[in-house]
Amino acid sequence: MGKEKGATKRNFLKGIVNENPLLVSILGTCPALATTKSVEAAIGMGLLFTIVLVCSNVLVSLLRKLISEEIRTPAYIVIIATFVTIVKMLTNAFLPELYSTLGVFISLIVVNCIVLGRAEAYASKNGVFDSFIDALGMGAGYTLAIMLMALFREILGTGAFAFGKIFTFIPYFKLQIIPVGYEISIFQNPAGAFIVFATILAVIAFIKNRKTELKTIKEREEKIRKQQEAKALAAQGGNK
Amino acid sequence: MANKKHYIITAVTLGVIAASSGALIGVANLVTRNQIALIEKNKIKAGIVDIFGEFAVISKEESVSDYKYVNYVYEVSGDNDQFLGYAYRTSGSNMYGKISLLVGFAYETKALKKFTVVVNEQTYASTLVDKYINPLNDKEINIDDVSCGATYGAKLVREMLNEATQASTKKWKN
Repeated sequence: MGKEKGATKRNFLKGIVNENPLLVSILGTCPALATTKSVEAAIGMGLLFTIVLVCSNVLVSLLRKLISEEIRTPAYIVIIATFVTIVKMLTNAFLPELYSTLGVFISLIVVNCIVLGRAEAYASKNGVFDSFIDALGMGAGYTLAIMLMALFREILGTGAFAFGKIFTFIPYFKLQIIPVGYEISIFQNPAGAFIVFATILAVIAFIKNRKTELKTIKEREEKIRKQQEAKALAAQGGNK
Repeated sequence: MANKKHYIITAVTLGVIAASSGALIGVANLVTRNQIALIEKNKIKAGIVDIFGEFAVISKEESVSDYKYVNYVYEVSGDNDQFLGYAYRTSGSNMYGKISLLVGFAYETKALKKFTVVVNEQTYASTLVDKYINPLNDKEINIDDVSCGATYGAKLVREMLNEATQASTKKWKN
């Protein structure tokens, strides 16, 4: 039972850390660059994306034995497109501000390679519960990654952090962080999105490389230590 | 024979998935359509107020079928049923998505007063609004000036405005 719980936890966490779809696999970059002007929009995009990913993963996993090899891709596309259409209708009806902010990027979830990729690579080969957890982890990982991008872009680009403009059921608040006139508006433009994305990727690469480097140094030191020990033992044997 | 059976099963599976998808979308449409229609109606009302002023209301609504982009014409009146002008609802799309505008023509001048965006699903939605629609409304640029970051969207807006102007000219003559 404990082992199973651990596996579920690992399955969920891999989407957030080790296999983060945006920051590690570099997938779904188009909406990540376009919808990260504000944290609120990023949360909205992440939520819609997660809903579509979870629903399609669960359904693909349920139908995995019924869908034959020849029609796998068209069947997955139909399933994903259905959920995207439903999510789009619901957003238009109940969250109109989010709908107008994200615009065409809601429809573009259909062609997001993460959704199709998880259906093909994971849900078609695994059980319903595992597929659900996988989708939840991937969705959370994607949402957190775009939220991180949006946080930098919003604060640097507008000088403030605001909430309640898109999710109107939350009282509106604005926190001015950088004095007015000192904000760097390029971060609100597509170029700023690329700069932020590249910087985050560079930091991640630095941390990864540093980890690998430290591991290699440790291994080398261990090897040298073992060699020295072996030499010392051999010398002792020779003396005797 | 086995091959034939396999093909039939494959076709039936795909057919069932497609039919179920259609049914699900149908249910979602049933649940959301009234709310979406209400939101659109409120957007039109807000657009009328934005164009003609605080007390402007729609006194008559008429659907139009003679034009490519113009779908509806609204007769707008203000305080004491005073006739203020017409607003034309235009809708169009290109490869970057759909745009719908509300174009207002004042009775006093018989000219374009202001226009508002009802739906903007263009990929470059914000660029289009910031660099073309807003300056155009503020009379900062000419209608033919499409040298902005959303040229295709701007061309569509220009075509819709031109068609609304044509429809308005025809209506004033009548």
